[in-house]
Amino acid sequence: MKIEEIVSKELSEKYYKTTHKSGLDIYVFPKEGYKSTYAIFGTKYGSVNRCFSVDGGEKVTVPDGIAHYLEHKLFESEDGDAFARYAKTGANANAYTSFNKTCYLFSCSDNFEDSLRILLDFVTSPYFTPQTVQKEQGIIGQEIKMYDDSPDWRVMFNMLEAMYENHPVKIDIAGTVESISHITADLLYQCYNTFYNLGNMALCVAGNADMDTVLKIADEVLKEQKIKKVESFFEPEKDGVSKDYVEQEFPVAVPLFNLGFKESGERKLTDEEAALNEIIMTMLFSSASRLYTKLLDEGLINSSFCYEFNEGPGYAVTILSGESREPEKVAKIIKAYIENIKREGFEQEDFEIAKRTVYGDLIGSFNSPAFIGNALMDCALFGGNLFDYARAVAQADIESAKKRLDSMLMTDKSVLSVIVPQKQ
Amino acid sequence: MTNIERKEIAPGVFFNSVTVERFKTMKLSCTAYIPLTKESAAMSAMLSQVLTKSCEEYPTLMEFSRKLGSLYGATVSGGANKSGDVRTMKLVVSAIDDRFALDGESVAQEVSKLLCEVLFKPKVNDEKFDGEDIEQERRQLIEYIDSQFNDKQVYAALRCTEIMCEGEPYGITRHGGVDTINKIDRENLYKGWKEILKTARFEIFFVGGKGADEAMKVFASSFAEVERTPVVLENKVIYDVKEVKDVTEEMELSQSKLIIGMRTGVDSLDPRSQALRLMSAVLGGTAHSKLFNNVREKLSLCYYCSSRYDSRKGILRIESGVESENIEKAKEAIFAEIEEMKKGNITDFEMESAKLSVCDSFRTLDDSVDGIEAWYSSQVFEDKFRNLDEKVQDIMNITKEQVVEAAKLLKLDTIYVLKGNQKEG
Repeated sequence: MKIEEIVSKELSEKYYKTTHKSGLDIYVFPKEGYKSTYAIFGTKYGSVNRCFSVDGGEKVTVPDGIAHYLEHKLFESEDGDAFARYAKTGANANAYTSFNKTCYLFSCSDNFEDSLRILLDFVTSPYFTPQTVQKEQGIIGQEIKMYDDSPDWRVMFNMLEAMYENHPVKIDIAGTVESISHITADLLYQCYNTFYNLGNMALCVAGNADMDTVLKIADEVLKEQKIKKVESFFEPEKDGVSKDYVEQEFPVAVPLFNLGFKESGERKLTDEEAALNEIIMTMLFSSASRLYTKLLDEGLINSSFCYEFNEGPGYAVTILSGESREPEKVAKIIKAYIENIKREGFEQEDFEIAKRTVYGDLIGSFNSPAFIGNALMDCALFGGNLFDYARAVAQADIESAKKRLDSMLMTDKSVLSVIVPQKQ
Repeated sequence: MTNIERKEIAPGVFFNSVTVERFKTMKLSCTAYIPLTKESAAMSAMLSQVLTKSCEEYPTLMEFSRKLGSLYGATVSGGANKSGDVRTMKLVVSAIDDRFALDGESVAQEVSKLLCEVLFKPKVNDEKFDGEDIEQERRQLIEYIDSQFNDKQVYAALRCTEIMCEGEPYGITRHGGVDTINKIDRENLYKGWKEILKTARFEIFFVGGKGADEAMKVFASSFAEVERTPVVLENKVIYDVKEVKDVTEEMELSQSKLIIGMRTGVDSLDPRSQALRLMSAVLGGTAHSKLFNNVREKLSLCYYCSSRYDSRKGILRIESGVESENIEKAKEAIFAEIEEMKKGNITDFEMESAKLSVCDSFRTLDDSVDGIEAWYSSQVFEDKFRNLDEKVQDIMNITKEQVVEAAKLLKLDTIYVLKGNQKEG
């Protein structure tokens, strides 16, 4: 078993990568002088993977919300609950399901080996019965309602629903109370056996850690298995958006908005594209930008204004969000600004400042084992290299940035979603 | 663990430095402590925003932001909060460590000077702050208060505090309220700023590799220009509960929020304070706590049910999200768990897992610049700074009997319900 060492002199960091005999890819990123360790065990299975086939077999479609349901259920086993096991080791554990992956993680400052045993064991030991499946309906039902009551959550999903005609990224990650009522123990086993195959997963450890210790635990707990080929399917999605405006009433005091820009998402951005993407978004939308200053001066936004880029299989979207008393006016100004920059170009100094800002933020992120663990997980499951990305930021040039700008922020493929206060 | 050096650089002004080499960033914070009133709440909230957007040398937000951007995305931020009955106004600068500067610049030195300027040389004219700057921040402060209303979990907890601690400075929330914020003008804000420089207690923290000495010199020389008369800060721990307050407010939500406020009569200098902190963890501070395991997992009554302890006021607050028809059941279940603790029905597992969890959260703080700054700055009202190992020892030595005694101190003060009355679709 070969262990690869990947070094970055500029960042004074290095990490190790190997493929365990069970088929699992393992990454270890030591942080000198750190007491705590962050470990994350993830699968390339998220809310969008509702239609799939295994080893070229029959295509199946399952009810929405299974990936998230599985996340909840895996913590249970015949003789108790993973949280109770972590209680004995003192680790702080959690899990999350997103559009394109499910991850189980813990951070600890002691008893790392025992905590890692627990993590690897409970995720690879499924146990579902009709009774335990039924019990979770209540808790997840309440979780869904909690999110239904959250204006921040709804503003984004309403936007996605208007943006995508077919792609499942528009469906709430936890599903709906109706869709989860169709989930059975058998369905859970089917999805588990498909996506929780070690060839579809990765383990990333950062902080106070070394590869030998991690491999020792992996040898103890992980069983060798036949690697399965899993394919996910998505109905064809048109280029444009379904609706360009959507609004919902909520008991809020200030309106919230999400302005989304659709891209094809046919492949993941390369490290260079991702670096340029981040620098351009910073240049256009950060608090140092001319746009931000203009919107702030006119009383149209406040410090809640922020931006993000989200991509996965078959989808990619840039989202600008915040609170505003006049969201439609904000959207209009932003779109005009984008069109203008694309036409007239941008200043060298603006680009340099944005580049240094993104670089500085990234440097700071390397302080955090949690950031490193999650970033490595993304690279492990979907491609890309963390150090190459950092280099791409440090070496970004203005000409390449202009090129990237041409393929992002398409104003004719945008959706404005607004949450407005209830009318009296 | 990392150790701290403390020096009084002016009357009531303390410079604390922690030298650490293992991080890629540094942090310099400056906190002013003043008595909490509606007016001081609003004024300090406003100042914390106005001061951190510009200064005499970079008088517009864009120039200021661009200067920070050129310093590799250094960030300057401000906030106002409370520690018991004391108002806090905190100004912070964070930046990358000098060794990562692409052109060899001394980032630490530049940002320390910048933060000092932000505090001592803001953009003022004729003993007045700029009117437009104030309006800009006033609008955003009000929008922030409105956004707290949007987050029902936050809003319900605020309402409980306002109701439970009505008449105490601690009961002041939302930066003193919209009306008070609207009374701020160019002159009274200037007076407030001068007053803070003259009378507040200041705690400055430097956490990072290089630059502590330069930062200390810069602040010492600026404070030397000010005639200092530090004010006495008071904090009252109340234990007398004349009548339990039981308040329900309705809103169109699909889920209700239940907040329970309890008093313990213990302040942070009391030797029982650590046992109280651990008691709160056993009751509802972790995923192995009584509230999580029984009220959430076994009874499926709440998606979240946790307890929080404020050691400065000796107040414990239980927060939960619950279906409207289960509110009474949830109350009963929560009180039942408290009774169990008072009776001494705490398992070894519950004790050990709470201790491990609390100690783990301590150790995690040592692995970040923000964590180390937070660790020490949270101790400014204690008799001395304790490092990680000392506090871990304190927690591990607490006995079950001490936790039971701590639970027995819990006195119900207020029940607040934000009732969701949305009909099922």
